[in-house]
Amino acid sequence: MSVQTIDFRILRFKPGRIDPPQYQRFPVAKAPMTTVLDGLEEIRLTQDPTLMYRHCCHHASCGTCACTINGTPALACTTRIADLQTDTVTLEPLAHLPCLGDLAVDMRPFFKEMDPGWANIRHNEETDKNRIPQGIDHLMRLENCIECGCCTTVCPLMPGAEGFMGPAVLSAVHNEIRNRPANREKLLQKAADPHGAPMCRRHLACSRVCPSKVYPARHIADLQRGIAGRTGREQAIKGKDPEL
Amino acid sequence: MLHVLIIGGGGTGGALAHDLTLRGFRVTLVEQGGLMSGTSGRHHGLLHSGARYALHDVAVARECYRENQILRWLTPQAIEPNDGLFVALGDEDMDHWDRFLRRCRAAGIPVREIGPARALALEPELTRGIKGAVQVPDATMDAWRLPLHFFATAQANGASILTFKRVERIVRRNGCVTGAEVEDLRSGRTRMLSADLVVNAAGPWAGKVAALAGIDVPVRPGPGVMVSVSGRRCNMVINRLHPAGEGDILVPQRNLTIIGTTIWLADDPDQVRHPAGHLEKLKALGARLMPELAGAPVHAVWSASRPLLNEADMGDPMRTSRGFACIDHQERDGLEGMISLIGGKATTLRAMAEEAADMVCRKSGHAAACTTTTTPLLPYRRMMQSAEDWI
Repeated sequence: MSVQTIDFRILRFKPGRIDPPQYQRFPVAKAPMTTVLDGLEEIRLTQDPTLMYRHCCHHASCGTCACTINGTPALACTTRIADLQTDTVTLEPLAHLPCLGDLAVDMRPFFKEMDPGWANIRHNEETDKNRIPQGIDHLMRLENCIECGCCTTVCPLMPGAEGFMGPAVLSAVHNEIRNRPANREKLLQKAADPHGAPMCRRHLACSRVCPSKVYPARHIADLQRGIAGRTGREQAIKGKDPEL
Repeated sequence: MLHVLIIGGGGTGGALAHDLTLRGFRVTLVEQGGLMSGTSGRHHGLLHSGARYALHDVAVARECYRENQILRWLTPQAIEPNDGLFVALGDEDMDHWDRFLRRCRAAGIPVREIGPARALALEPELTRGIKGAVQVPDATMDAWRLPLHFFATAQANGASILTFKRVERIVRRNGCVTGAEVEDLRSGRTRMLSADLVVNAAGPWAGKVAALAGIDVPVRPGPGVMVSVSGRRCNMVINRLHPAGEGDILVPQRNLTIIGTTIWLADDPDQVRHPAGHLEKLKALGARLMPELAGAPVHAVWSASRPLLNEADMGDPMRTSRGFACIDHQERDGLEGMISLIGGKATTLRAMAEEAADMVCRKSGHAAACTTTTTPLLPYRRMMQSAEDWI
């Protein structure tokens, strides 16, 4: 039986060597379950060992393999080639982040505004379906956001609106308010920065591309309400007591 | 300051870089791809209590429990500490019940016996008719972020972590390893990294690295397939209470449930394709624990190579020891200046690093005690924010 193949068209870049970047085609064997990451692995292992891309968990938990697949940011590990329904799979690095080589980008700008100490784990409520085992204080969940960068690179404000915090940071701020309510005021203040939640124009692209069901736009809307409530409260207080 | 070159940027390499920097060594780590791009990142994410190994290897079980407790303290932001259930499906599993409890207790693992009704109340998607369950301190870990804590701390303490650097040659001079020639996949340039000691921490790739130095190491790649299905079907890790087999672990994580795993023996750790039939087998075996898994939408299928310590008779690979060995190649092969760290598992990454670092200290005459059980780690995001030359 002949193996069906599909062309991967990858934007190659190696500073000083493949510079400016240029596309290169590689044939990849295609089966119904083959993912874009499977294809990249096949190319690296059988055709070009110098192909650079990040990958780690292969099941959408780490967020390292995000790249631009046929024009849309997505995780290579859970994007099945068959689902793309194209003759060619075009791969480029995530937009708006400095490219280090081929599909590997420098994620520092993405993490710049995140406090490294923000929680990555949260309590989960006990329900009929979620019973807390004996000897356990709380059911815990890893945060849904896997910090892949898809939302931030698809946001139309990035990078045009200089300094927009972006949907990932704002979602993380909102999660942190829930996880550590004592820091609410300080965090709301951060979100209320002109480059924070007020800058969002509700394009919703972030929620559409998020591979982890974080729906950043909802978090931003909640933050905007929180900020409005806070401002309203301040005005109400000011109205009562001019000294404040 | 003595310079140690670590080859392999998985969990073990990261933990070793951390341990050695704390003990006063200058450390450089090279990884051929991105961090945790080999085996570390691709496992099912089960932070073992040790109970899985209780029936056939109490020593490994004890070590897992100890490390489980240490990692809960060191990296709480990368662990869902919701415990686990070992579920007896039928009479054949109940035959192992008493021995399982005895061996867990011998390994120091706390166990709590639970009746079928309570088990089903805790995990309603478990199959009806189970005979009982044992609660143990299993947990789910984030296989990317947990090791990243070690890398972040090692780097902040001065370790040089270099990714996309492929070792081309291990340099030997007069029966002594003096460093490695490393190709930078980005610039295409090859450079010599001199070191007082080289540690091969390449997991199932350790055989390939050792071959560059002209020696053999007893490692055998033992790949396995894992399947994640959409939807979180349980809070706790679920294991079948029986001698460890294929498709008898369910690890919940975020909004997924992972069914692990199959096993076979391979010569090459790199798997371009996993064999046909494993997906179907895993779903069928997983469905014995949770019937709904049979029809659950498949979210991802992938494989990873375990780094198995190669023993004379591999027999049933599922019974192969998951312990580890630290090999001084001077003693074994008459080659000075190189150590290989073979075997082990994600849960024991810190203990593996401790033993390798002890050996580095002995060999270099640099007396320094391990402090990794009591030294807090930096948050993993520090690694992603660092201005160092790692990528």
